[in-house]
Amino acid sequence: MQYILNAVLAACLLVAANIPLHAQKPPETVDFSSFPAQSIDDVVVPVPSEVFIVLDKLGNPNWRLELRDSLGRQSGNRAQVALLLGTVIAEGFVAVEAEDSEMVKDIGRRVLSLSKAINVEKAVLERSKSITDKAEVKDWLAVRKEFDGALSDVKDAMLELGDDDLAQLVSVGGWIRGTEVLTSIIRKNYTTDSAELLHQPALVNFFTKKLDNLSNKRLAEDDLVDRIRKLLAAIAPLIGDGEGDAIPSENVTRIHKMTRDTVAAIAFKGA
Amino acid sequence: MKKTLTFLFALLIVASAWAYVDDALSFAYEAASPYVKKGFSVREDAWGGDLGVKDQQAVQAQLFKGNEYWFCLGTDVKGAVLSVNIYDSKGNLINVETTRAGRLSAVRVEPSRTGTYYAIVTVHKSPAERTGWALVYAYK
Repeated sequence: MQYILNAVLAACLLVAANIPLHAQKPPETVDFSSFPAQSIDDVVVPVPSEVFIVLDKLGNPNWRLELRDSLGRQSGNRAQVALLLGTVIAEGFVAVEAEDSEMVKDIGRRVLSLSKAINVEKAVLERSKSITDKAEVKDWLAVRKEFDGALSDVKDAMLELGDDDLAQLVSVGGWIRGTEVLTSIIRKNYTTDSAELLHQPALVNFFTKKLDNLSNKRLAEDDLVDRIRKLLAAIAPLIGDGEGDAIPSENVTRIHKMTRDTVAAIAFKGA
Repeated sequence: MKKTLTFLFALLIVASAWAYVDDALSFAYEAASPYVKKGFSVREDAWGGDLGVKDQQAVQAQLFKGNEYWFCLGTDVKGAVLSVNIYDSKGNLINVETTRAGRLSAVRVEPSRTGTYYAIVTVHKSPAERTGWALVYAYK
């Protein structure tokens, strides 16, 4: 009887402690070379705030200085609109860091108009309204989540329309603007710790692979897309070979200039 | 007629595949909800799929030194035992804390370097032949 009571007590303690009865200690090391290629999924592209909050912990950046005066102009070129939409959503994350509610509201409206230009307006209508409402009450955590959601909704809507290529351009546009802001802040107060945030080889490889395999011939041959391919190829050797490798300040400055010029090219192409 | 039936059947398979990923995703978000109260932001993007028993799937993640992350895994199959573990690019385990309750599992990591990491999802046991899973992450 005592044996049964002990067993029941032990089981209750395990449940209370959330410890699985089938718990298995994970291996301390794994060999990824033994993983079949189809068993490794692509990287999820981080939103700019994932890296911005690290910058906040490392110092006290002046986010208002990082906001652009103009969000750019859209042309009739779908590649440009998709890339511009990515940069504008990234700007939303900067405006959240700057706690600039008027800018956030402007950006929310701009996200909507750019989405309309590429037929995904419906997907972000609610988000856009929510961004405005939450910026009004300065609920910054919620606004940040809405921008993440807007990015995700736009990409999902494009995938539903069979526009996977455009969805990739939105992501890469956001990443380039995010990197421009990141490098702008790092170079103002360079430390090896802050520069290490640029070590993103999986993302550079991911975008390179996606842009090299665009199925839409017109997008694949677009001069902005070609410019971004060259940008990624130029950035790859500057972000460190291995985890923890120091990224010198000259590299940060070079990446900043390249991304800044590319964002300007996206923002004013055909205008 | 046969073509229409084949199409409808294919549609049904696709719809049910999405349904179980959606269910698994709801559980993954449920697993993440306690961390939202602790100031974590949960990403809208997610990974998901289905695996057989003893199968594994690795997903790549770009993590930043200085952040704290919770990776939250959900499954739509009652009675299934799944786990998620995080490894650095050299294949070293970096889990700091793990929890599991029913269909939800979560692991916390604090990367010591900025770079590429791998979340490995494993189905240890399941009453189903294929087990739907979804993985989201939260950061702070």
